[in-house]
Amino acid sequence: MIRRPILGALAALALFAWAPPAAAAEKLNVVTTTSLYADLVRQIAGDAVEVRYVAPPKFNIHYIQPKPSDVRNVRRADLFVQSGLDHEHWTDPLLQAAGRTELFRGSVRNADMSTGITLLEVPQGQVDRMEGDIHLFGNPHFYVGPQNVPAMTATLLGKLKELDPDNAAAYDTNAAAFLEKFTARLAEWKTSAEKTAGKEIVSYHKDIAYLADFLGVKAEQFVEPKPGIPPTPKHVGFLAGYMKERGIRLIVTPTYYPRRTAEEVAGRAGGRVAIVCQNAGEVPGTEDVFGFFDHNVKAISEGVA
Amino acid sequence: MRSLVPYVFLLLFVGPTVCAEARAAEPVSLEAQVRELTRAVQDLRLTVENQQREIALLKGQTPPPFRTPAAPAAGPAAARGRWNPDIGVVADTLVTADTPKADTEGADRLSVREVEVIFGSNVDPYSRLDATFAFSDFEEASLDEAYLTHFALPWEVTGRVGRFRPRVGKVLQTHRDALDTVDMPLAVQRYFGSEGYARSGADLTRALDLPFDSAHEVTLGVLEGGNEEGGTLFGDRRRPTFYARSKNYWDLGEVTGLELGASFLSGSRDADVSREVGVFAADLSLFHDFEPPRRLKLQAEAFHVNRRESLTMLADAVTGVVTAQDLDGTLWGAYGLADLRFHVNWAAGLRLDRVEPIDAFGNPDPADTGYTGYLTFYQSEFARWRLQFSHLDLAAGENDDRVFVQGTFSIGEHKHKLQ
Repeated sequence: MIRRPILGALAALALFAWAPPAAAAEKLNVVTTTSLYADLVRQIAGDAVEVRYVAPPKFNIHYIQPKPSDVRNVRRADLFVQSGLDHEHWTDPLLQAAGRTELFRGSVRNADMSTGITLLEVPQGQVDRMEGDIHLFGNPHFYVGPQNVPAMTATLLGKLKELDPDNAAAYDTNAAAFLEKFTARLAEWKTSAEKTAGKEIVSYHKDIAYLADFLGVKAEQFVEPKPGIPPTPKHVGFLAGYMKERGIRLIVTPTYYPRRTAEEVAGRAGGRVAIVCQNAGEVPGTEDVFGFFDHNVKAISEGVA
Repeated sequence: MRSLVPYVFLLLFVGPTVCAEARAAEPVSLEAQVRELTRAVQDLRLTVENQQREIALLKGQTPPPFRTPAAPAAGPAAARGRWNPDIGVVADTLVTADTPKADTEGADRLSVREVEVIFGSNVDPYSRLDATFAFSDFEEASLDEAYLTHFALPWEVTGRVGRFRPRVGKVLQTHRDALDTVDMPLAVQRYFGSEGYARSGADLTRALDLPFDSAHEVTLGVLEGGNEEGGTLFGDRRRPTFYARSKNYWDLGEVTGLELGASFLSGSRDADVSREVGVFAADLSLFHDFEPPRRLKLQAEAFHVNRRESLTMLADAVTGVVTAQDLDGTLWGAYGLADLRFHVNWAAGLRLDRVEPIDAFGNPDPADTGYTGYLTFYQSEFARWRLQFSHLDLAAGENDDRVFVQGTFSIGEHKHKLQ
């Protein structure tokens, strides 16, 4: 009687072995967590790679629920690019579902974009959820600061050359050209930042620390009373008073936070709300790295002018 | 359990080292060197910045802002303290008010229905261990899950061995604290148990690379027999239950997806070795993300039970007379759920249930039916409150109205597995 299940199990194992393997890829398959990293990969690798990203640009990176198609894409990937730290909580379950250990954190086919970044707001002492959804290693929104692009480029370049040595020279050339162009733009953005230096703005979430650092603006108050905690009427009242008292005229937010609360605060304080993107393609014109930083720098420098 | 041994051995320990050796040859040393160099450069930069700050102070100038050191995101420093596994605690508290006065699980009282303590960590470069212990204020402490996941099996197969929730349908894979409703759908409660279905066993999962823009996955497994508390589907633990599942997913757009699954379980009701219980399960899930976390989910599952059991003692529903009868026949149960997370803090939903209980063979109106409505308030990412009303029409002829208030809170590190 037991013979039938054994035969069944053997037949099933044969099915596992028989299932056709994925066709050999001509190009390097890269999956990134965000659209911004995907564009950085394109800047360095051009047409030599196929790039996909998991998080749709208009979505808050904290709340992404990877789909089975994302699992499939990651399983087929030669390189997985993520922010690292404790930013994208969903990446570990995604990588485990894909089941390829060489894509896991710290492994050879995983690019940790926080490598080489000087992190801001690193918690000191005991860390507690009383402070909201804080991050253990520091503020993880480093990719919003243009000053961090060279380090991120270096991380990607290293990984691409390591995994695809045949195209290493092309990657070097592309990366050098990209960085030359980016450095020129960086200088322009820095110049435009001279007008904004020392000004104070309010942000919806604690996600513009690196951009504020680059522009020399202060962003010390937030529409969220604590990271990840929705605003209360009391906090809205406090914030409107704070802005009025200090003559702060700008609240910045990505597209995915409720605009109404930010506008209510800005309205009561005589200010206005501007979109500062967290993802490439979040608003039209921000599809590539240059457009992304152009938009964000302009949103703040014009907003506080 | 003895009959499980050859399958477990066959499924998990044939040839994993083949892949392991191939992966060991990856160029990890270069990456380690780069990390070391990066760290060294960062340290030097910090030293220079701190010196500049001190010079500025000595000159009576305003010092440049102090920069905090880089986080140990990678490299040797990141290893500090990482021998400890990730530890999470999920508390599920419940206030229940219901019609029957029987002192059943958590009825008419405030209870800590379950506190789950969850441990998880990589064991080595090829495998991971996850364990969940459950405590309750009205039940014995129990081992909910404890299983090893092996990622480096041949043919890109992922294997699990231990006690786990099989990859059958949708809610059977879900812990109660992660459900959209307070309780499991009626069909799951009646057939598998009120807490779902976790058994000891082993399974293998492999993605199928088909030439379509879709995602497909096949799972095969073998589990110990029996059910969870309250379940009636299978019998003796000694007789294994075999299962298979096919999961199929299609993107209907960037933010819309459709999943169709089919599962089959084959097991035994009693001590003989014949496989007289067969369950075919089908599941359908459709989701649409408006703007996370705002999301609409429509989910339905159906379980079709086929039993060939002879001479079982059954009580007549009307007269109460007990007679021996054959139980050849079929039963089915299903539910449909609509869940709408319409605000970052709020979600609401509705579930419809219908199930023919195992002990309802021969009854003229053999189905339990019910409807459930709920409203969920997400206090934060880690705390949630839910108000639920359920109405049940039972095959035994009674009705039951229940009101639940549930609070679910989590601390520590806890990441739900992707289904």
